[in-house]
Amino acid sequence: MKDKRMTLKEAVSKYTWDGCSLNIGSICAREPMAVAHEIIRQGRKNITLITDTTSDPAELMVAAGCFSRIEAAYIWIGVVGQGYNIRRAVEEGIPNYIEIEPYSNYTAGLRLMAGAMGLPFLPTKSLLGSDIITHNPRIKVIDDPYGSGPIALVPAANPDTTFIHVQRSDMAGNCQIWGMMGNDDFASRACKNVIITCEEVVPTSEIRKIPNMTVIPEYAVSAVVELPFGCHPLSVTGCYWMDNPFRQGFIQASRTRDGVMAWLDEWVYQVEDHGQYLDKVGRDRLAKLQELEQDNCMIPEIISRTREEM
Amino acid sequence: MKKYAENYSISEMMAAVCSLQLSNDDVAFVGVGIPLMAGAVAAATHAPEVTIVYEGGGVGARSRRMPWTISDTPTTDNALVASTMNRIFSDQQRGYITVGIIGGAEIDKFGNLNTTAIFGKGGSYDHPQVRLPGSGGANDIASSCQRTVIVMRLQKGKFVNKIDFITSPGFLSGPGAREKAGLLGGGPSAVVTDRGLFKFDAETKEMYLDAIYPGMTVEQIKEYIDWDLKVSPHLYEMEPPTEEQIEVMHTLDPMGTVLGSKSLKGGIQPFDVYYEALKKSYQSRTLSL
Repeated sequence: MKDKRMTLKEAVSKYTWDGCSLNIGSICAREPMAVAHEIIRQGRKNITLITDTTSDPAELMVAAGCFSRIEAAYIWIGVVGQGYNIRRAVEEGIPNYIEIEPYSNYTAGLRLMAGAMGLPFLPTKSLLGSDIITHNPRIKVIDDPYGSGPIALVPAANPDTTFIHVQRSDMAGNCQIWGMMGNDDFASRACKNVIITCEEVVPTSEIRKIPNMTVIPEYAVSAVVELPFGCHPLSVTGCYWMDNPFRQGFIQASRTRDGVMAWLDEWVYQVEDHGQYLDKVGRDRLAKLQELEQDNCMIPEIISRTREEM
Repeated sequence: MKKYAENYSISEMMAAVCSLQLSNDDVAFVGVGIPLMAGAVAAATHAPEVTIVYEGGGVGARSRRMPWTISDTPTTDNALVASTMNRIFSDQQRGYITVGIIGGAEIDKFGNLNTTAIFGKGGSYDHPQVRLPGSGGANDIASSCQRTVIVMRLQKGKFVNKIDFITSPGFLSGPGAREKAGLLGGGPSAVVTDRGLFKFDAETKEMYLDAIYPGMTVEQIKEYIDWDLKVSPHLYEMEPPTEEQIEVMHTLDPMGTVLGSKSLKGGIQPFDVYYEALKKSYQSRTLSL
């Protein structure tokens, strides 16, 4: 197997650039937070975000001024707080105005599915009669030639790059996901560059033991980055649960522009890399988050790094 | 014998009323917030066989913990299926999902919902007064689910004649409009608010007041609604939540993250308090698998 491993710094430097289009893998759980931090540290601008639903990583990157356009269904924090940063960007142009092309979760996924199938569009019975169509000229409503009446078409999406965080991958990028999978199977085929970040790199022989769990094959993958706790403060099934107090800190800081800039300075700009970030969060705290998850969900024979060995 | 709770919050009443919209036969799609709690309460009380479906890909989870989002890790604890988002929504478009529970920021009398943007005076989609999260999966649920249940608080200026942006279709402009637009699902069946329960007239498709909560009056409710609200001739007062329902909610949501928004009002929670509360919460629950 080819060895595609590299550092996060190298992967972000090589596979993102000013003006690129970017997909963020998974949804709420397994969203790549460490990747968002590194993209911000490298100062990327004018990115077009193409995704279904995204929470904390997008809010961070909106605050840092990374995006000029978003094509998505939902940009917000969720139950623990509102999206102060996306609101400031769209309502006040701070730090920059962001144009949003609206979709729904299903149709954002269908765009990636079309991209993954090499097709120009896919039809759907969602969106009909809604103002998502009114405000998105790229969604077309046609009369079904086979007679079912009106049907909406959504354009394929083939973003330049996606970062998808998974529980385990081999060094070539054959990766296995536990728990819900979001739209990762299609995103990984739709995007031109697929960067896998993972809790653990395992020997290919481990992957071969449960091939049904392999969601993404190495031929779709450009690079692999081993990144334990790469989604903190979000969760990873079988690995660690959400750190809501940490998220509250970010949300509270986000109430004001000065507050969020101070937060970014402390947790992103002044932090060298992901290892230093984890030290700053605290290894004891991470072990407790791991315990909260693993008391409820263990991945059979998958996570070889136990609490004691951390 | 049913034992009614003596002390409960309005959010808890909403979650209880909402949970009663679910039965053992339902395959139910639940959204963020009160809908997630309603699904969990139904499964723990009167509808143990209900199949809860989450957008991220989880089907039929049996979890000791409360999911905070539609794709958080508890959504696949002891689940029947851990699948993809696209698969779940395709199953819905195919017709398998019997009910979806969604929220909204603005609603009109035909049950059309806005969760995209409040334009405000002189504002527009591109330059709104208030930007909201967007559809998420709500448009898909409202489009293709067999029926939808809407959860919204009664607030001035939210139950309006014309919403700024139809994110999720109700009955659109009235009778026949969903069919003409090409929509597959049956449309809204109920609106659960903090003061009463609303339903939709089978002929006119207009929302009417079906039941009020203990201590509320029709006049109080009408004050919040911009159109001339019709009231059911069989209007009744709803039962308060039971002790059993409230106990489930308190166990699953010990910090009021879902039902109280206490997490932000009280400042940033100390991590150890959070850790201990969650641990105690799930350790106190037993599951039948």
